[in-house]
Amino acid sequence: MDSLSLYLRLVSARIRGQMQYRVSFVLDVLSNFLITFVDLIGILVLFATFHDLAGWRVGEVVVLYGVVGLALGIATTVGAGFDEAATLVRLGEFDRLLTRPLPVFVQVMASDFQLRRLGRTLQAAVALGIGLAWADVAWSAASVGVLLAAVVGTTLVFLTVLVIGATLCFWTVETSEVQNIFTYGGSELGSFPVHIYSPWLRLVFVYAVPLALTSYYPALYVLRKPDPLGGPSWLSFVGPLASAAFFILGLAAWGYGIRHYRSTGS
Amino acid sequence: MAALTQPLHAYLALSRASYRRQRAYGAANIAGLLTNGFFGVVRSFVFIALYRARPVAEGYDLMDALTYVWISQSLIMPVYMWGWQEIALTVRTGDVVTDLSRPLNYFGYWLSRDLGRALYHILFRMAPTILLGLLIFHIELPGGTGWLLFSVGLLLAIVVSFCMRFIVNLSAFWLSDIRGVNGMMMLTINLLSGFIVPVEFLPSWLRAAAELLPFASIIHVPVQLFLGRAAGLEALGLIGGQLAWAAVLGAGAAVTLRAAWRKLVIQGG
Repeated sequence: MDSLSLYLRLVSARIRGQMQYRVSFVLDVLSNFLITFVDLIGILVLFATFHDLAGWRVGEVVVLYGVVGLALGIATTVGAGFDEAATLVRLGEFDRLLTRPLPVFVQVMASDFQLRRLGRTLQAAVALGIGLAWADVAWSAASVGVLLAAVVGTTLVFLTVLVIGATLCFWTVETSEVQNIFTYGGSELGSFPVHIYSPWLRLVFVYAVPLALTSYYPALYVLRKPDPLGGPSWLSFVGPLASAAFFILGLAAWGYGIRHYRSTGS
Repeated sequence: MAALTQPLHAYLALSRASYRRQRAYGAANIAGLLTNGFFGVVRSFVFIALYRARPVAEGYDLMDALTYVWISQSLIMPVYMWGWQEIALTVRTGDVVTDLSRPLNYFGYWLSRDLGRALYHILFRMAPTILLGLLIFHIELPGGTGWLLFSVGLLLAIVVSFCMRFIVNLSAFWLSDIRGVNGMMMLTINLLSGFIVPVEFLPSWLRAAAELLPFASIIHVPVQLFLGRAAGLEALGLIGGQLAWAAVLGAGAAVTLRAAWRKLVIQGG
Protein backbone atom coordinates (compact mmCIF):
# COMPACT_ATOMS: atom_id res chain seq x y z
CA MET A 1 0.00 0.00 0.00
CA ASP A 2 1.42 3.36 -0.84
CA SER A 3 2.03 5.93 1.87
CA LEU A 4 -0.69 8.32 0.81
CA SER A 5 -3.56 5.86 0.87
CA LEU A 6 -2.27 4.47 4.15
CA TYR A 7 -2.15 7.98 5.57
CA LEU A 8 -5.69 8.68 4.39
CA ARG A 9 -6.98 5.46 5.95
CA LEU A 10 -5.34 6.16 9.30
CA VAL A 11 -6.52 9.73 9.33
CA SER A 12 -10.09 8.92 8.39
CA ALA A 13 -10.18 6.46 11.29
CA ARG A 14 -9.00 9.26 13.58
CA ILE A 15 -11.59 11.65 12.23
CA ARG A 16 -14.36 9.11 12.86
CA GLY A 17 -13.03 8.76 16.41
CA GLN A 18 -13.03 12.50 17.01
CA MET A 19 -16.59 12.78 15.71
CA GLN A 20 -17.89 10.33 18.35
CA TYR A 21 -18.58 13.03 20.90
CA ARG A 22 -20.53 15.24 18.54
CA VAL A 23 -21.42 18.05 20.98
CA SER A 24 -17.94 18.30 22.40
CA PHE A 25 -16.48 18.31 18.90
CA VAL A 26 -18.78 21.05 17.63
CA LEU A 27 -18.04 23.18 20.72
CA ASP A 28 -14.33 22.63 20.17
CA VAL A 29 -14.41 23.72 16.53
CA LEU A 30 -16.64 26.66 17.42
CA SER A 31 -14.38 27.86 20.24
CA ASN A 32 -11.33 27.45 17.99
CA PHE A 33 -13.12 29.52 15.36
CA LEU A 34 -14.07 32.23 17.84
CA ILE A 35 -10.69 32.37 19.62
CA THR A 36 -8.89 33.04 16.36
CA PHE A 37 -11.68 35.40 15.34
CA VAL A 38 -10.73 37.59 18.30
CA ASP A 39 -7.29 38.07 16.69
CA LEU A 40 -9.03 39.43 13.61
CA ILE A 41 -11.16 41.74 15.75
CA GLY A 42 -7.90 42.99 17.28
CA ILE A 43 -6.62 43.97 13.81
CA LEU A 44 -9.94 45.62 12.88
CA VAL A 45 -9.99 47.59 16.15
CA LEU A 46 -6.45 48.86 15.58
CA PHE A 47 -7.38 49.97 12.06
CA ALA A 48 -10.51 51.72 13.36
CA THR A 49 -8.14 53.88 15.40
CA PHE A 50 -5.17 54.24 13.06
CA HIS A 51 -6.55 53.61 9.51
CA ASP A 52 -3.15 52.89 7.98
CA LEU A 53 -0.22 50.58 8.71
CA ALA A 54 2.89 51.74 6.88
CA GLY A 55 0.96 52.21 3.63
CA TRP A 56 -1.32 49.18 4.03
CA ARG A 57 -5.10 49.44 4.37
CA VAL A 58 -7.19 47.19 6.55
CA GLY A 59 -8.36 44.87 3.73
CA GLU A 60 -4.80 44.33 2.55
CA VAL A 61 -3.58 43.37 6.02
CA VAL A 62 -6.58 41.04 6.41
CA VAL A 63 -5.61 39.28 3.14
CA LEU A 64 -2.14 38.67 4.56
CA TYR A 65 -3.63 37.57 7.89
CA GLY A 66 -5.98 35.18 6.05
CA VAL A 67 -3.26 33.56 3.94
CA VAL A 68 -0.96 33.00 6.92
CA GLY A 69 -3.80 31.91 9.22
CA LEU A 70 -5.16 29.48 6.64
CA ALA A 71 -1.71 27.97 6.20
CA LEU A 72 -1.15 27.66 9.95
CA GLY A 73 -4.60 26.10 10.37
CA ILE A 74 -3.95 23.46 7.73
CA ALA A 75 -0.38 22.77 8.91
CA THR A 76 -1.36 22.33 12.58
CA THR A 77 -4.32 20.13 11.62
CA VAL A 78 -2.28 17.85 9.37
CA GLY A 79 0.99 18.06 11.31
CA ALA A 80 -0.41 17.61 14.83
CA GLY A 81 1.44 14.28 15.05
CA PHE A 82 4.77 16.11 14.89
CA ASP A 83 3.64 18.31 17.77
CA GLU A 84 3.13 15.14 19.80
CA ALA A 85 6.38 13.48 18.75
CA ALA A 86 8.01 14.26 22.12
CA THR A 87 5.36 12.17 23.87
CA LEU A 88 6.01 9.29 21.47
CA VAL A 89 9.72 9.49 22.19
CA ARG A 90 9.37 9.83 25.95
CA LEU A 91 6.98 6.89 26.30
CA GLY A 92 9.12 4.69 24.08
CA GLU A 93 6.26 4.44 21.58
CA PHE A 94 8.58 5.70 18.92
CA ASP A 95 10.56 2.43 19.00
CA ARG A 96 7.43 0.63 17.96
CA LEU A 97 6.98 2.89 14.92
CA LEU A 98 10.52 2.07 13.84
CA THR A 99 9.82 -1.65 13.78
CA ARG A 100 6.94 -1.31 11.33
CA PRO A 101 7.64 -1.66 7.61
CA LEU A 102 6.17 1.77 6.86
CA PRO A 103 7.71 5.22 6.48
CA VAL A 104 8.11 6.69 9.98
CA PHE A 105 7.32 10.13 8.61
CA VAL A 106 3.87 8.97 7.49
CA GLN A 107 3.27 7.13 10.76
CA VAL A 108 4.07 10.15 12.91
CA MET A 109 2.02 12.43 10.69
CA ALA A 110 -0.91 10.01 10.92
CA SER A 111 -0.49 9.56 14.69
CA ASP A 112 -2.61 12.63 15.27
CA PHE A 113 -4.99 14.73 13.20
CA GLN A 114 -6.65 17.59 14.99
CA LEU A 115 -9.94 18.09 13.22
CA ARG A 116 -10.98 20.68 15.83
CA ARG A 117 -8.29 22.96 14.45
CA LEU A 118 -10.62 23.23 11.49
CA GLY A 119 -11.98 26.13 13.54
CA ARG A 120 -8.84 28.18 12.93
CA THR A 121 -8.74 27.14 9.28
CA LEU A 122 -12.37 28.10 8.65
CA GLN A 123 -11.92 31.40 10.43
CA ALA A 124 -8.86 32.26 8.35
CA ALA A 125 -10.70 31.28 5.15
CA VAL A 126 -13.54 33.65 6.08
CA ALA A 127 -11.00 36.37 6.90
CA LEU A 128 -9.26 35.84 3.56
CA GLY A 129 -12.60 36.18 1.77
CA ILE A 130 -13.39 39.41 3.63
CA GLY A 131 -9.92 40.79 2.96
CA LEU A 132 -10.08 40.02 -0.76
CA ALA A 133 -13.49 41.71 -0.96
CA TRP A 134 -12.22 44.84 0.78
CA ALA A 135 -8.85 45.13 -0.92
CA ASP A 136 -8.19 46.20 -4.47
CA VAL A 137 -7.22 42.90 -6.05
CA ALA A 138 -5.87 42.57 -9.57
CA TRP A 139 -7.92 39.49 -10.46
CA SER A 140 -6.41 37.35 -13.20
CA ALA A 141 -5.42 33.73 -13.68
CA ALA A 142 -1.93 34.71 -12.56
CA SER A 143 -3.06 36.37 -9.33
CA VAL A 144 -5.29 33.41 -8.43
CA GLY A 145 -2.34 31.11 -9.05
CA VAL A 146 0.00 33.24 -6.95
CA LEU A 147 -2.56 33.34 -4.13
CA LEU A 148 -3.03 29.55 -4.14
CA ALA A 149 0.72 29.03 -4.28
CA ALA A 150 1.05 31.40 -1.32
CA VAL A 151 -1.32 29.31 0.81
CA VAL A 152 0.33 26.03 -0.19
CA GLY A 153 3.86 27.39 0.23
CA THR A 154 3.16 28.93 3.63
CA THR A 155 1.52 25.69 4.78
CA LEU A 156 4.66 23.84 3.75
CA VAL A 157 6.81 26.31 5.69
CA PHE A 158 4.78 25.82 8.89
CA LEU A 159 4.70 22.05 8.41
CA THR A 160 8.48 22.03 8.03
CA VAL A 161 8.86 23.98 11.26
CA LEU A 162 6.77 21.31 13.03
CA VAL A 163 8.93 18.56 11.50
CA ILE A 164 12.15 20.27 12.59
CA GLY A 165 10.65 20.81 16.08
CA ALA A 166 9.84 17.09 16.25
CA THR A 167 13.36 16.24 15.07
CA LEU A 168 14.83 18.27 17.93
CA CYS A 169 13.03 16.15 20.53
CA PHE A 170 15.05 13.10 19.47
CA TRP A 171 17.78 14.84 21.44
CA THR A 172 15.85 16.89 24.00
CA VAL A 173 13.19 14.19 24.68
CA GLU A 174 10.81 16.86 25.98
CA THR A 175 8.95 19.14 23.57
CA SER A 176 11.27 22.02 23.02
CA GLU A 177 8.36 24.37 22.24
CA VAL A 178 10.87 26.67 20.57
CA GLN A 179 9.07 25.91 17.32
CA ASN A 180 6.11 27.90 18.70
CA ILE A 181 8.12 31.02 17.92
CA PHE A 182 8.07 30.13 14.24
CA THR A 183 4.54 28.66 14.06
CA TYR A 184 2.33 30.85 16.24
CA GLY A 185 4.90 33.63 16.43
CA GLY A 186 5.53 33.36 12.69
CA SER A 187 1.83 33.61 11.95
CA GLU A 188 1.59 36.76 14.10
CA LEU A 189 4.62 38.24 12.34
CA GLY A 190 3.40 37.19 8.90
CA SER A 191 -0.03 38.77 9.47
CA PHE A 192 1.53 42.20 9.01
CA PRO A 193 3.65 43.51 6.10
CA VAL A 194 7.27 42.58 6.78
CA HIS A 195 8.64 46.00 5.89
CA ILE A 196 7.55 47.22 9.35
CA TYR A 197 10.09 44.95 11.06
CA SER A 198 13.76 45.54 11.75
CA PRO A 199 16.21 44.27 9.11
CA TRP A 200 17.51 41.29 11.14
CA LEU A 201 13.99 40.04 11.77
CA ARG A 202 13.20 40.35 8.05
CA LEU A 203 16.36 38.47 7.15
CA VAL A 204 15.34 35.53 9.36
CA PHE A 205 11.91 35.33 7.76
CA VAL A 206 13.19 35.66 4.20
CA TYR A 207 16.30 33.48 4.27
CA ALA A 208 16.02 31.10 7.24
CA VAL A 209 12.27 30.41 7.55
CA PRO A 210 11.06 31.71 4.17
CA LEU A 211 7.66 32.87 5.42
CA ALA A 212 8.00 36.32 3.85
CA LEU A 213 8.70 34.76 0.44
CA THR A 214 5.59 32.58 0.62
CA SER A 215 3.15 35.18 1.97
CA TYR A 216 4.25 38.84 1.93
CA TYR A 217 5.86 39.03 -1.52
CA PRO A 218 3.05 37.08 -3.26
CA ALA A 219 0.56 39.40 -1.51
CA LEU A 220 2.39 42.41 -2.96
CA TYR A 221 1.71 41.00 -6.44
CA VAL A 222 -1.94 40.10 -5.80
CA LEU A 223 -2.65 43.48 -4.17
CA ARG A 224 -0.65 45.43 -6.78
CA LYS A 225 1.46 47.05 -4.11
CA PRO A 226 5.00 48.31 -4.64
CA ASP A 227 7.74 46.84 -2.46
CA PRO A 228 8.77 49.69 -0.14
CA LEU A 229 12.11 47.95 0.27
CA GLY A 230 12.68 48.08 -3.48
CA GLY A 231 13.24 44.36 -3.93
CA PRO A 232 13.13 42.76 -7.40
CA SER A 233 9.65 41.82 -8.66
CA TRP A 234 10.54 38.12 -9.05
CA LEU A 235 10.52 37.84 -5.24
CA SER A 236 6.73 37.41 -5.56
CA PHE A 237 7.22 34.16 -7.46
CA VAL A 238 10.02 32.32 -5.66
CA GLY A 239 7.81 31.23 -2.75
CA PRO A 240 7.04 27.72 -4.10
CA LEU A 241 10.71 27.09 -4.76
CA ALA A 242 11.83 28.44 -1.39
CA SER A 243 9.20 26.48 0.55
CA ALA A 244 10.01 23.27 -1.34
CA ALA A 245 13.71 23.73 -0.56
CA PHE A 246 12.89 24.42 3.09
CA PHE A 247 10.70 21.31 3.24
CA ILE A 248 13.46 19.14 1.73
CA LEU A 249 15.83 20.57 4.34
CA GLY A 250 13.32 19.61 7.05
CA LEU A 251 13.03 16.08 5.64
CA ALA A 252 16.81 15.78 5.61
CA ALA A 253 16.97 16.90 9.24
CA TRP A 254 14.24 14.38 10.11
CA GLY A 255 16.18 11.58 8.38
CA TYR A 256 19.35 12.57 10.22
CA GLY A 257 17.41 12.61 13.51
CA ILE A 258 16.01 9.12 12.90
CA ARG A 259 19.44 7.71 12.11
CA HIS A 260 20.74 9.14 15.39
CA TYR A 261 17.70 8.29 17.48
CA ARG A 262 18.46 6.69 20.79
CA SER A 263 15.60 5.14 22.66
CA THR A 264 14.75 6.39 26.13
CA GLY A 265 14.59 2.73 27.12
CA SER A 266 11.18 3.03 28.73
CA MET B 1 -3.46 28.24 68.80
CA ALA B 2 -1.65 25.29 67.27
CA ALA B 3 -4.87 24.29 65.57
CA LEU B 4 -4.99 27.73 63.97
CA THR B 5 -1.39 27.98 62.85
CA GLN B 6 -1.11 24.46 61.57
CA PRO B 7 -3.34 24.93 58.52
CA LEU B 8 -1.46 28.10 57.62
CA HIS B 9 1.75 26.07 57.64
CA ALA B 10 0.04 23.50 55.47
CA TYR B 11 -1.04 26.14 52.95
CA LEU B 12 2.44 27.65 52.86
CA ALA B 13 3.95 24.21 52.35
CA LEU B 14 1.53 23.67 49.44
CA SER B 15 2.61 26.98 47.88
CA ARG B 16 6.27 26.10 48.28
CA ALA B 17 5.83 22.65 46.78
CA SER B 18 3.90 24.09 43.85
CA TYR B 19 6.61 26.70 43.30
CA ARG B 20 9.29 23.99 43.29
CA ARG B 21 7.26 21.82 40.94
CA GLN B 22 7.51 24.52 38.27
CA ARG B 23 11.29 24.11 38.26
CA ALA B 24 10.81 20.77 36.51
CA TYR B 25 9.60 22.68 33.44
CA GLY B 26 12.77 24.74 33.13
CA ALA B 27 13.38 24.18 29.43
CA ALA B 28 9.74 24.73 28.51
CA ASN B 29 9.80 27.92 30.55
CA ILE B 30 12.76 29.25 28.61
CA ALA B 31 11.06 28.40 25.32
CA GLY B 32 7.88 30.08 26.57
CA LEU B 33 9.82 33.15 27.62
CA LEU B 34 11.35 33.39 24.15
CA THR B 35 7.89 33.04 22.59
CA ASN B 36 6.43 35.81 24.80
CA GLY B 37 9.46 37.93 23.91
CA PHE B 38 8.98 37.24 20.20
CA PHE B 39 5.32 38.26 20.34
CA GLY B 40 6.39 41.35 22.27
CA VAL B 41 8.86 42.28 19.53
CA VAL B 42 6.35 41.72 16.69
CA ARG B 43 3.56 43.66 18.39
CA SER B 44 5.99 46.47 19.26
CA PHE B 45 6.93 46.88 15.59
CA VAL B 46 3.23 46.93 14.66
CA PHE B 47 2.59 49.79 17.10
CA ILE B 48 5.72 51.63 15.96
CA ALA B 49 4.41 51.49 12.37
CA LEU B 50 0.88 52.51 13.39
CA TYR B 51 2.09 55.50 15.43
CA ARG B 52 3.95 56.94 12.43
CA ALA B 53 0.61 58.37 11.29
CA ARG B 54 -0.39 59.97 14.61
CA PRO B 55 1.45 60.66 17.88
CA VAL B 56 -1.36 59.89 20.36
CA ALA B 57 -4.33 57.52 20.24
CA GLU B 58 -6.92 57.19 23.02
CA GLY B 59 -4.48 58.82 25.42
CA TYR B 60 -1.67 56.36 24.61
CA ASP B 61 1.50 57.70 23.06
CA LEU B 62 3.93 55.28 21.40
CA MET B 63 5.89 54.64 24.59
CA ASP B 64 2.67 53.86 26.50
CA ALA B 65 1.65 51.45 23.74
CA LEU B 66 5.02 49.68 23.80
CA THR B 67 4.92 49.41 27.59
CA TYR B 68 1.37 48.06 27.30
CA VAL B 69 2.60 45.40 24.83
CA TRP B 70 5.35 44.16 27.11
CA ILE B 71 3.37 44.26 30.36
CA SER B 72 0.43 42.42 28.81
CA GLN B 73 2.82 39.77 27.45
CA SER B 74 4.52 39.49 30.84
CA LEU B 75 1.16 38.97 32.60
CA ILE B 76 0.19 35.89 30.54
CA MET B 77 1.89 33.38 32.81
CA PRO B 78 1.33 34.88 36.29
CA VAL B 79 -2.43 35.12 35.66
CA TYR B 80 -2.32 31.84 33.71
CA MET B 81 -4.72 33.03 31.05
CA TRP B 82 -4.70 29.96 28.86
CA GLY B 83 -6.26 26.59 29.45
CA TRP B 84 -5.68 25.55 33.05
CA GLN B 85 -7.43 22.19 33.61
CA GLU B 86 -5.76 20.76 36.72
CA ILE B 87 -8.89 20.51 38.87
CA ALA B 88 -10.94 19.18 35.95
CA LEU B 89 -8.36 16.41 35.52
CA THR B 90 -8.73 15.38 39.18
CA VAL B 91 -12.48 15.16 38.63
CA ARG B 92 -11.92 12.82 35.71
CA THR B 93 -9.41 10.61 37.54
CA GLY B 94 -11.33 10.61 40.81
CA ASP B 95 -8.44 12.19 42.75
CA VAL B 96 -10.86 14.98 43.58
CA VAL B 97 -12.25 12.77 46.36
CA THR B 98 -8.87 12.67 48.11
CA ASP B 99 -8.51 16.42 47.72
CA LEU B 100 -12.00 17.07 49.09
CA SER B 101 -11.42 14.88 52.13
CA ARG B 102 -8.25 16.67 53.22
CA PRO B 103 -8.55 18.59 56.50
CA LEU B 104 -8.00 21.77 54.51
CA ASN B 105 -10.32 24.17 52.80
CA TYR B 106 -10.64 22.92 49.23
CA PHE B 107 -10.61 26.42 47.72
CA GLY B 108 -7.68 27.38 49.94
CA TYR B 109 -5.84 24.21 48.94
CA TRP B 110 -5.94 25.10 45.24
CA LEU B 111 -5.43 28.82 45.81
CA SER B 112 -2.22 28.20 47.80
CA ARG B 113 -0.95 25.95 45.05
CA ASP B 114 -1.81 28.55 42.42
CA LEU B 115 -0.08 31.34 44.33
CA GLY B 116 3.11 29.26 44.59
CA ARG B 117 2.98 28.64 40.84
CA ALA B 118 2.29 32.33 40.20
CA LEU B 119 5.31 33.41 42.25
CA TYR B 120 7.54 31.21 40.11
CA HIS B 121 6.05 32.71 36.95
CA ILE B 122 6.44 36.26 38.28
CA LEU B 123 10.14 35.67 38.96
CA PHE B 124 11.07 33.60 35.94
CA ARG B 125 8.59 34.64 33.23
CA MET B 126 7.23 38.08 34.04
CA ALA B 127 10.41 39.74 35.29
CA PRO B 128 12.59 38.57 32.34
CA THR B 129 9.86 39.58 29.85
CA ILE B 130 9.73 43.10 31.30
CA LEU B 131 13.53 43.15 31.22
CA LEU B 132 13.47 42.24 27.50
CA GLY B 133 11.05 45.10 26.81
CA LEU B 134 13.31 47.42 28.76
CA LEU B 135 16.44 46.33 26.88
CA ILE B 136 15.00 46.19 23.35
CA PHE B 137 12.36 48.95 23.34
CA HIS B 138 13.29 50.99 26.46
CA ILE B 139 9.79 50.76 27.91
CA GLU B 140 8.82 53.04 30.81
CA LEU B 141 9.08 51.70 34.35
CA PRO B 142 6.89 53.04 37.15
CA GLY B 143 8.23 54.96 40.16
CA GLY B 144 8.17 53.80 43.81
CA THR B 145 4.41 54.11 44.45
CA GLY B 146 3.78 52.80 40.94
CA TRP B 147 5.59 49.56 41.74
CA LEU B 148 3.65 49.22 45.00
CA LEU B 149 0.27 49.78 43.30
CA PHE B 150 1.24 47.43 40.46
CA SER B 151 2.24 44.71 42.94
CA VAL B 152 -1.10 44.91 44.72
CA GLY B 153 -2.93 44.95 41.37
CA LEU B 154 -0.92 41.96 40.17
CA LEU B 155 -1.74 39.91 43.27
CA LEU B 156 -5.45 40.70 42.90
CA ALA B 157 -5.31 39.94 39.17
CA ILE B 158 -3.98 36.48 40.01
CA VAL B 159 -6.71 35.93 42.63
CA VAL B 160 -9.52 37.09 40.29
CA SER B 161 -8.18 34.90 37.47
CA PHE B 162 -7.87 31.98 39.88
CA CYS B 163 -11.52 32.30 40.95
CA MET B 164 -12.62 32.23 37.29
CA ARG B 165 -10.44 29.23 36.51
CA PHE B 166 -11.67 27.47 39.66
CA ILE B 167 -15.33 27.89 38.61
CA VAL B 168 -14.62 26.84 35.01
CA ASN B 169 -12.76 23.74 36.24
CA LEU B 170 -15.63 22.77 38.54
CA SER B 171 -17.87 22.59 35.47
CA ALA B 172 -16.15 19.23 34.98
CA PHE B 173 -18.61 17.88 37.57
CA TRP B 174 -21.36 18.37 34.99
CA LEU B 175 -19.49 18.12 31.67
CA SER B 176 -17.30 15.27 30.48
CA ASP B 177 -15.02 17.66 28.61
CA ILE B 178 -14.41 21.24 29.71
CA ARG B 179 -12.36 22.23 26.66
CA GLY B 180 -15.33 24.04 25.14
CA VAL B 181 -16.04 26.06 28.30
CA ASN B 182 -12.33 26.76 28.69
CA GLY B 183 -12.18 28.00 25.10
CA MET B 184 -15.14 30.33 25.61
CA MET B 185 -13.50 31.77 28.72
CA MET B 186 -10.19 32.22 26.90
CA LEU B 187 -11.74 34.13 24.05
CA THR B 188 -13.73 36.37 26.40
CA ILE B 189 -10.58 37.10 28.38
CA ASN B 190 -8.58 37.77 25.21
CA LEU B 191 -11.13 40.26 23.97
CA LEU B 192 -12.37 41.95 27.14
CA SER B 193 -9.36 41.91 29.48
CA GLY B 194 -7.40 44.35 27.34
CA PHE B 195 -5.04 41.65 26.11
CA ILE B 196 -5.61 41.81 22.34
CA VAL B 197 -5.85 45.62 22.32
CA PRO B 198 -6.06 48.11 25.19
CA VAL B 199 -9.62 48.39 26.50
CA GLU B 200 -9.67 52.09 25.52
CA PHE B 201 -9.26 51.15 21.84
CA LEU B 202 -12.41 48.99 21.77
CA PRO B 203 -15.63 50.36 20.23
CA SER B 204 -17.53 52.25 22.95
CA TRP B 205 -20.19 49.57 23.58
CA LEU B 206 -17.54 46.86 23.91
CA ARG B 207 -15.42 49.11 26.06
CA ALA B 208 -18.38 49.71 28.37
CA ALA B 209 -18.89 45.95 28.65
CA ALA B 210 -15.19 45.42 29.37
CA GLU B 211 -15.24 48.02 32.13
CA LEU B 212 -18.33 46.46 33.72
CA LEU B 213 -17.07 42.87 33.67
CA PRO B 214 -14.38 41.18 35.82
CA PHE B 215 -12.02 40.37 32.91
CA ALA B 216 -10.39 43.82 32.93
CA SER B 217 -9.15 43.07 36.47
CA ILE B 218 -6.77 40.49 34.98
CA ILE B 219 -4.82 42.53 32.42
CA HIS B 220 -6.22 46.05 31.98
CA VAL B 221 -5.99 47.09 35.64
CA PRO B 222 -2.40 45.93 36.29
CA VAL B 223 -1.34 47.58 33.01
CA GLN B 224 -3.01 50.87 34.01
CA LEU B 225 -1.21 50.75 37.35
CA PHE B 226 2.13 49.97 35.69
CA LEU B 227 1.70 52.81 33.18
CA GLY B 228 0.69 55.19 35.96
CA ARG B 229 -2.35 56.14 33.85
CA ALA B 230 -4.40 55.98 37.02
CA ALA B 231 -3.00 57.84 40.01
CA GLY B 232 -4.12 58.49 43.58
CA LEU B 233 -7.81 57.89 44.21
CA GLU B 234 -8.37 56.59 40.69
CA ALA B 235 -5.73 53.90 41.22
CA LEU B 236 -7.30 52.95 44.54
CA GLY B 237 -10.66 52.77 42.74
CA LEU B 238 -9.23 50.28 40.23
CA ILE B 239 -7.82 48.16 43.05
CA GLY B 240 -11.15 48.42 44.88
CA GLY B 241 -12.84 47.10 41.74
CA GLN B 242 -10.48 44.14 41.67
CA LEU B 243 -11.17 43.48 45.37
CA ALA B 244 -14.91 43.56 44.74
CA TRP B 245 -14.57 41.10 41.85
CA ALA B 246 -12.35 38.82 43.94
CA ALA B 247 -15.06 38.81 46.64
CA VAL B 248 -17.94 38.21 44.19
CA LEU B 249 -16.12 35.49 42.26
CA GLY B 250 -14.83 33.94 45.48
CA ALA B 251 -18.44 33.68 46.69
CA GLY B 252 -19.41 32.31 43.28
CA ALA B 253 -16.67 29.70 43.63
CA ALA B 254 -18.03 28.68 47.05
CA VAL B 255 -21.56 28.30 45.68
CA THR B 256 -20.34 26.31 42.69
CA LEU B 257 -18.27 24.08 44.95
CA ARG B 258 -21.29 23.34 47.15
CA ALA B 259 -23.37 22.42 44.09
CA ALA B 260 -20.53 20.26 42.75
CA TRP B 261 -20.23 18.53 46.14
CA ARG B 262 -23.91 17.55 45.93
CA LYS B 263 -23.42 16.33 42.39
CA LEU B 264 -20.39 14.21 43.29
CA VAL B 265 -20.84 10.51 42.65
CA ILE B 266 -18.06 8.27 43.88
CA GLN B 267 -17.65 5.17 41.78
CA GLY B 268 -16.67 2.32 44.08
CA GLY B 269 -13.27 0.85 43.44
